[in-house]
Amino acid sequence: MTDDVTDRRAELIAAALASELTPDEVAELDALRAEDPTIDADLADFGVILGSVRSVEMWDEDAPTSELAARVAGIADDTSASEQGADASVVAPVDRAGDGSRRRPTRVGRFAFAAAAAAACVAIGVGGGVMLATPAAPPSGPAGALGAVESVSFDGEPAGVEVDGDVIAHTWGTETVLTIDGLPVGDVYDVIVLDGSGREWSAGTFLGSEVTIDCTMNASVLRPDAVQVQVRAADGTKVATAALPSVAG
Amino acid sequence: MTVMTTRPTPEWSAMGAVESEFDLSVAFAEHGPSLLGFAVNALRDRPLAEDCVQETFLRAWRSRSGFDADRGSARTWLFTIERNVILDVYRARRRTPTLVPAEHAGELAAEESDPLERLRIVEALARVSPEQREAVVAVHLTGLTYQEFSDASGVPVATLRTRVFYALRAMRGHLEGVDND
Repeated sequence: MTDDVTDRRAELIAAALASELTPDEVAELDALRAEDPTIDADLADFGVILGSVRSVEMWDEDAPTSELAARVAGIADDTSASEQGADASVVAPVDRAGDGSRRRPTRVGRFAFAAAAAAACVAIGVGGGVMLATPAAPPSGPAGALGAVESVSFDGEPAGVEVDGDVIAHTWGTETVLTIDGLPVGDVYDVIVLDGSGREWSAGTFLGSEVTIDCTMNASVLRPDAVQVQVRAADGTKVATAALPSVAG
Repeated sequence: MTVMTTRPTPEWSAMGAVESEFDLSVAFAEHGPSLLGFAVNALRDRPLAEDCVQETFLRAWRSRSGFDADRGSARTWLFTIERNVILDVYRARRRTPTLVPAEHAGELAAEESDPLERLRIVEALARVSPEQREAVVAVHLTGLTYQEFSDASGVPVATLRTRVFYALRAMRGHLEGVDND
C-alpha cells in the first residue's frame, strides 16, 4: 500500500468516526472496505476508544510553568536527591492552603499529597438530617503515623517487572498497597511483611496478570515493628523487596 | 490539608551498576508537557499535578541507574513512574472521607466505579503528540467539525483527519500494551 493510499485510508476512517463522510467518500470507503477487512476492525476499535475519550469530557492543555521547570531542574542539585541510596525518610509538609502562599518543599522529594483539597461536603446527621461539614484532612505525619500513606520503593524486580507501593499504619496492623506490572499470568505470589526479628507476617497472596494489578493487603504486625515488605514467588524466590523507614519511638 | 509521605532508603539493584545517561532538563523539556497533561487531566488539580510531575522526575532521578533503554524508552519509563505517583494520589483520596447525602450515595459510587479505566484513557491521550491530541480534542471532545477546526487552525482538513487516525492508532497500541514511544 502506497503512502497516498495509506493516508487516504486514514482520512476516510477518521471522517467516518466523526460522521463526516460525503456521499462520494461513503462510496469510496465502502470500496476500500471490500478489499481491506482491517478497516472495519479499525473502525470498531477506534469507536470504542473514542467512547472512552468522550467520557473524559474536557482536556486541559496547559504548558508547564517556568517554576515547575526550575523545581525539576533543582532535583539534580539537591544532595539528598542526587545521591542514590540516600536516606529520604525524613518528611516535610507542603502547605496547600489554597491561598496562594503554598510553600514548596525546601528539599525535593518531600512529596506531599494534598488529596483532601475537595470542597466542603455534606454529612448525614444522627437524626437523619443533613449538615455541612468540612472534609477531614487525610492522616499525616512521620513514618508510622496512623492512616498516613507512606510511599515505599521496591527493588530487585526481574526484567520486565515493576512493583510500586505504599504502606499504611493501622491500629490492627500494617496495610500494604501494591501496583504490579509484568508478572506471569496465573502464577501465585505472596506478600510478606517482616519485623525486626526476621519473623514473617503474611499479608496475602495474588495472581500474576496481564493487566496492572492494584491490590491491598493486610498483615497483623504493627507498623513500628515492620521493617521490610517482600513479594515472593510460590517457590519462595524474592521478586521485589522494599525496606521500610524506621518508626521513631 | 496535607498528607505527608515518607520514602525508604532505596536499595539499588545490580542492574544499576552502570549509571545511565539521564539528563533531567532534557527529559523535562521533551516529556514534561505530556506528563503534566497526564497529571492535570487525571487529577483535575493543577498544583497537585505539578507536585506529581516533580515527584515523577525525582523518582526517575533516584532510580536513573536502573533505567535500561533496551527495555523501553525514557518516555515510557517516565509515564510508568507517573502512573504510579497518580495511583498513590488516588489511594490517598480513597482514604479521605467523602461524605454525601444518602440519596446521592449511589450516584457517587456509580461515578467512581472505575477510575482506573479513566486513568488509562487519559494516559493514552496524554502520550500522543500535541498536534494529534489537539485534533482529537477539537473534534471529539469540543465537538468542532473538521472544517471548523481547519478554519480556526489553518491546518488542512485532510491533515487533521490523518492526525486523528494516527492518534487513535497510537492510543490503541498503548491500551494494548504495545508502545511505540
